[in-house]
Amino acid sequence: MIRFENVSKTYKNGTPALKDISLDIEKGEFVFLVGASGSGKTTFLRLLLREELPDRGRILEAGRDISELSKWRVPYLRRNIGCVFQDFRLLPNKSVFENVAFALEVIGRPRSTIESQVPQILELVGLADKAKNLPGELSGGEQQRVAVARAFVNRPLILLADEPTGNLDPTNSESIMALLERINRTGTTVVMATHDKALVDRMRRRVIELDHGEMVRDQVRGVYGIDEPMEIR
Amino acid sequence: MRVYLRYAVKETLANLWRNRMMTIAAVLTVAVSLSLVGAALLLKQSAAQASAQWQQGTRVTVWMQPNATASELNNVKTQLATLPIVKDCVFNSQAQDYQEAKRILPQSEWSVLSVSNVPSSFRCVPTVPSNAFVVMSTFKNEPGVYNVTAPEQQIRQMNSAIRILQIVFLALAGVLLLSATVLILNTIRMAIFARRREVSVMKLVGATNWFIRIPYITEGFIQGLLGSLVAVLAVTALHTWYPLHNEFQLDTTALLGTNLVVLVVGVVIGSVGSALAIRRFLDV
Repeated sequence: MIRFENVSKTYKNGTPALKDISLDIEKGEFVFLVGASGSGKTTFLRLLLREELPDRGRILEAGRDISELSKWRVPYLRRNIGCVFQDFRLLPNKSVFENVAFALEVIGRPRSTIESQVPQILELVGLADKAKNLPGELSGGEQQRVAVARAFVNRPLILLADEPTGNLDPTNSESIMALLERINRTGTTVVMATHDKALVDRMRRRVIELDHGEMVRDQVRGVYGIDEPMEIR
Repeated sequence: MRVYLRYAVKETLANLWRNRMMTIAAVLTVAVSLSLVGAALLLKQSAAQASAQWQQGTRVTVWMQPNATASELNNVKTQLATLPIVKDCVFNSQAQDYQEAKRILPQSEWSVLSVSNVPSSFRCVPTVPSNAFVVMSTFKNEPGVYNVTAPEQQIRQMNSAIRILQIVFLALAGVLLLSATVLILNTIRMAIFARRREVSVMKLVGATNWFIRIPYITEGFIQGLLGSLVAVLAVTALHTWYPLHNEFQLDTTALLGTNLVVLVVGVVIGSVGSALAIRRFLDV
């Protein structure tokens, strides 16, 4: 589903973000991306979204080299990739329903599809009764569930999550993780960048660790990391 | 498509309303600058029309004293006929000139005239326009001659005055049009900036650039259109009510053409302004 071939990326100010990364992520896999801040996790996700282009190497998604994609086709690539962020990125003046519907509206889905899909997905994330609320009236965990609903309402092939539990307490983190797992079970490839050691250790999924832009570990059923500074101390 | 149409209309109107003060400023600037452009175009057209009318007629006129004797008239007539630089001459009797005065002058002026105090005249076409001045100096002091006039000179002076006026108008209009473009650019930029969150979410979920752009471009387009519509009204009012001498009065075709130019310029300015604003912001 996702393949990196010797991908390197250096930002304009000279800091290398990724160095010669090669990896394969299969369809339906659940992958944790771990590493300290500045290790290149976010760059990794931005490359997948084609918000950045690699300096060297190729990135293939569903068998297609995304650097060769012409600019006008980038939006269509993104329709196959759902995104969840630490700061939720909901629109504060739109209701929960409208926030989720927005993702379908802007890709031109007809009203009838929206009317049937949005309640369904809100049911899935357990927020059917909050459809009319504004994001500001919800807890952080609920807001993140709305964000997940928005990312998934379009049934993307890939779901990217950048620190989705970063702003949440353990209970809410659990419920978001359960949701992501459930989405993963429908066959969606999930790539999640995280700092949450407990989560990673408990889930026992594939772990890719980045350190200063280099891939230092790719473990099939991994934990957050034994050589973590926290652990050494 | 219908879904998008409704979306685009809703967004455009909401943006216009949200930035209504800026919108008004932009629309008024477009209106003022395009009114100047329209006025300059009208001025140019009427000047061209008037001088064309004058020039196809007489180039030099020898006016006789109203009480000139028959021998004085004959003397001037033969001299004009033998002068090689004069191509052609027509004699207008006092009665004919009186009729002409009646036609050209306002009533307050010709009502004091009568056939006997109007000069008769020779309307001559010199071989080349500049020879008019030779004719002028030759006949000025002939007995029985009241005056010799060559409209060529006045036409030239008036044309250069009109040209300067026109340059001033167009320069002013150019500056104003530029500021109108910048104002529109700024309004749109503010609209996008106020909604950058929304725009970033749109891009994230895969909205095409045109989907995001169109409401903003329409907004600029509408601002340009509104401004130019006001300008069209101003230009039409100017054309209808400003008192002009017959030769300057333009027909409706000229007015329509001018208004069309004004509309097109306004719409183009609005669209270009917003397109520029978007280019900076929406680059993926």
